[in-house]
Amino acid sequence: MEKTEIILNHDGSFVERLVSERPLNVGQNVLDTLTENVCRQVRNVFHIPEWGAVHASVGVHDVLWCIALDKIPLHARFKLINQVMVPMFASGTDIEMPLVWRVPANVKVVFCVLTKAEDGFVSVEGNWLFACDSEKRGYRLPLPNLHDDCRICTGQFEGDQETALACVQKSLDQFAVSKWNSDLMRTIEQSQKFFRFLPTKDTFEPLPIQGEWTSLCSKVSTALYERVVV
Amino acid sequence: MKTITVKYGVDSVTKQVDADFTFGDLQDSDQFKAALGYGDNTKALVDGIEQNRETVIPANATVRIETKANTKA
Repeated sequence: MEKTEIILNHDGSFVERLVSERPLNVGQNVLDTLTENVCRQVRNVFHIPEWGAVHASVGVHDVLWCIALDKIPLHARFKLINQVMVPMFASGTDIEMPLVWRVPANVKVVFCVLTKAEDGFVSVEGNWLFACDSEKRGYRLPLPNLHDDCRICTGQFEGDQETALACVQKSLDQFAVSKWNSDLMRTIEQSQKFFRFLPTKDTFEPLPIQGEWTSLCSKVSTALYERVVV
Repeated sequence: MKTITVKYGVDSVTKQVDADFTFGDLQDSDQFKAALGYGDNTKALVDGIEQNRETVIPANATVRIETKANTKA
């Protein structure tokens, strides 16, 4: 389409301007390029019994599923020190127990599953475990089996599933049964101040964290953490 | 001297550094580490692109530090 514009200049002269327009068929490509790193957050996509609501950060190539945890299953070795049961991840002799640590109100712990749609199935690209403070700073919990970027060393499990829901469920199942061993272990002192249990007649009651919890963790910032929905 | 802004997560700090201050210097800097709380295993990005440690940081640049994945022990 061609347009003709007549322009009156300040000096009183007239100028004719011819403008030619034609539609370019690149709209979707441009949009795809511009939005390649943009993710859409969707809350409460589904609910998993015993774990809770699952939120999603939907990207062009993958989806990050996020579940705020109220508990962390700790299948590990423990030792009684000063009447308090504390983890001994690197021990080969202390008693092994499946204790459950309850997440305190001032700590937010988020379990994440990154999935990718493949040809006819959905694959798990990784699991992460982040702790967050009230201002959404990310932290790595003082646990072994966690990489510096909070990716969980999960061990082998069937990560290819028919649906994303099944991927998240399988990841949580693996998280619930995995043992915390000494792989990627840092200093045990921080873990023992963080994860503490009081033996009672029938059970082991989680005790409050000893000190400021953020000082027992390492601060984390990654592109993936930026996508976490809490 | 030059001014740079460094971001780590939601926190950021703007400081004056030497003219030849590199991305590696920033990643190793105890001052920036203490201010922002990052550790030894990091990468430095400008506009989402990872930078070489040897590259001198341009004046007035905004550098994002991110935690790098480590390998299994």
